[in-house]
Amino acid sequence: MRRMILLACWLLTDIVLFIGAYVLAYFLRVGFLLSTDFPMPPYLQTALIIAPLWIAVMVQLGIFRLTRIQSDQRNIAHILFACVMGLALFTLAYYFLHDRFFSRLLLVYAGGLSFVFTLVWHLSFDQWQRRVLRRSPPAYPLLVVGANREAERFIKLLEERQSPFKPVAILDSQGSPLKDIAGIPVLGKLNKLEEVIRLKKPTHLVQCANLEHTINLMSVCRQHGMTYLLLPSVLGAVMGSSERIEGQPVILVSERNW
Amino acid sequence: MKCFILAGGFATRLWPLTERRAKPLLPLADIPLLSYVIEQVPPDLPITVSTNAVFAEDFKKWKKTIAKRNIEIIIEDVGHEDQKLGALGAVAQWLEDKEIDDDLLLLAGDNFSACNMQTFLGLRRNQPLLAAHDIGDTELAKQFGTVILEKGDDPLKNILAFEEKPAHPKSTIVSTGWWFLPRQYLSLLREYAAEHADNVGGIFEEFLRKKIPIDCFVFHETWKDIGSFESYLSIHREVVGERLIVDASSTVGKNVTLKGSIAIGPKTDLVESTLSDCIIFGKTTIRNCVLERCIVDEECVLEGVDLSDKMLRAGTVLRNRC
Repeated sequence: MRRMILLACWLLTDIVLFIGAYVLAYFLRVGFLLSTDFPMPPYLQTALIIAPLWIAVMVQLGIFRLTRIQSDQRNIAHILFACVMGLALFTLAYYFLHDRFFSRLLLVYAGGLSFVFTLVWHLSFDQWQRRVLRRSPPAYPLLVVGANREAERFIKLLEERQSPFKPVAILDSQGSPLKDIAGIPVLGKLNKLEEVIRLKKPTHLVQCANLEHTINLMSVCRQHGMTYLLLPSVLGAVMGSSERIEGQPVILVSERNW
Repeated sequence: MKCFILAGGFATRLWPLTERRAKPLLPLADIPLLSYVIEQVPPDLPITVSTNAVFAEDFKKWKKTIAKRNIEIIIEDVGHEDQKLGALGAVAQWLEDKEIDDDLLLLAGDNFSACNMQTFLGLRRNQPLLAAHDIGDTELAKQFGTVILEKGDDPLKNILAFEEKPAHPKSTIVSTGWWFLPRQYLSLLREYAAEHADNVGGIFEEFLRKKIPIDCFVFHETWKDIGSFESYLSIHREVVGERLIVDASSTVGKNVTLKGSIAIGPKTDLVESTLSDCIIFGKTTIRNCVLERCIVDEECVLEGVDLSDKMLRAGTVLRNRC
């Protein structure tokens, strides 16, 4: 729920920023007045029509996904692409709706400003969102299966980066002599899985070891509506995955889109 | 003599099969493993089965299926492995609560043994006795209590040394979960259990430390500790053989090939699939699958998947829609 409210805020503020960038571009080009030669209302109307389409492009590019780091190079490239798309859509829409065009420099301003505004806002919002999502009780409690070095590295990475995915417990099929790993309690073997899920209510489960239990852990996730993650190292692979959490490649299996 | 069966473990190595049922109640050729143990116990012996609170109801239901036997179920009020009193602790508690002053036949409820218990008990003397089996694998022996015996051809040998779960086993002859303790040694068991509640094998180390002689009966018949997927499937193959055990309420449809050792529990539907050396607990649908050496828990739906060497958790749904 917390995430849905934050996401709604994020989308809404992005729309406001997009329109704001276009309005600012108008004033920068025309001057801080409402020109009669180039009237504001049709310009604003076009920006309003395009803003939701621009948001749809951003959604399709996965910019709002929790697994995305906003400062990541790929993400910045996606924001740039979305802004170029927004600009192209705006130009086309204006041409179709109002026939004649006005200023090429204004378009450069609008495109540049929408990119800068979006990028700065996304970097700030991401930091704030992470803090909000990690607040106790965390919005995305993560159950870690496996008590090996890979698990420890992953937990430390999530903690260091203030990831929205907050490890809450560790289980290990072999039984670990350790009481905790990087401050996260080791609660026992997999026979405690149902109990730990009941108590900690994890939304995600990451498998860091015990390959033989993959199908059963996926089954548990499906039954409890959790998202299953697998570190490729469990398969003997250390690189190559379409999904990343805090830069760490993961294999993600979920029946949900979000 | 009294018989006490240890069945209070949580069998974490057999997860997820033991998530909903105790290891001694796992089916072997459609019969709970514990029923095989009970069959071996002389009919006149009163039997006490010790289990934990999590599986208490299952054991009570199981008891109803065993007719004409004097069985008492005692429940250790624990919900987790780490709360456990310990196997030896449970025995000591029972001895104290019931004020038992009788010879004791102590059995592990999760072992399968083809050895004749009458033969074992017939060899008992006025000193501790245990049944042992040569598993012939040093690595495997690390999981059990190992014994070093005196030389000789006599089936009853004197134990020279006993090591519980040794890091470097000196022998591959292991204790098999059948122990006989004459009444005069029960007080020592209680004392030892107070300090080492979870170390059943340790009591034999203690006997030797106190210079109490221990007899050992080494048998050559099949014996398995059902402690892992491999051992469970292995004993399944041995007991079922090339038979096909299908519950009457299950259906085997057209184009189904069943090979090797197959045991299929109730209310299972098999359609256009090939199964080889599999245990299907029941209430499951298997359609267009190839399963080899798989153990499938209840209420699973498998469609269009090929699996080998897998244990599937209850409620697993795998549908390959490609």
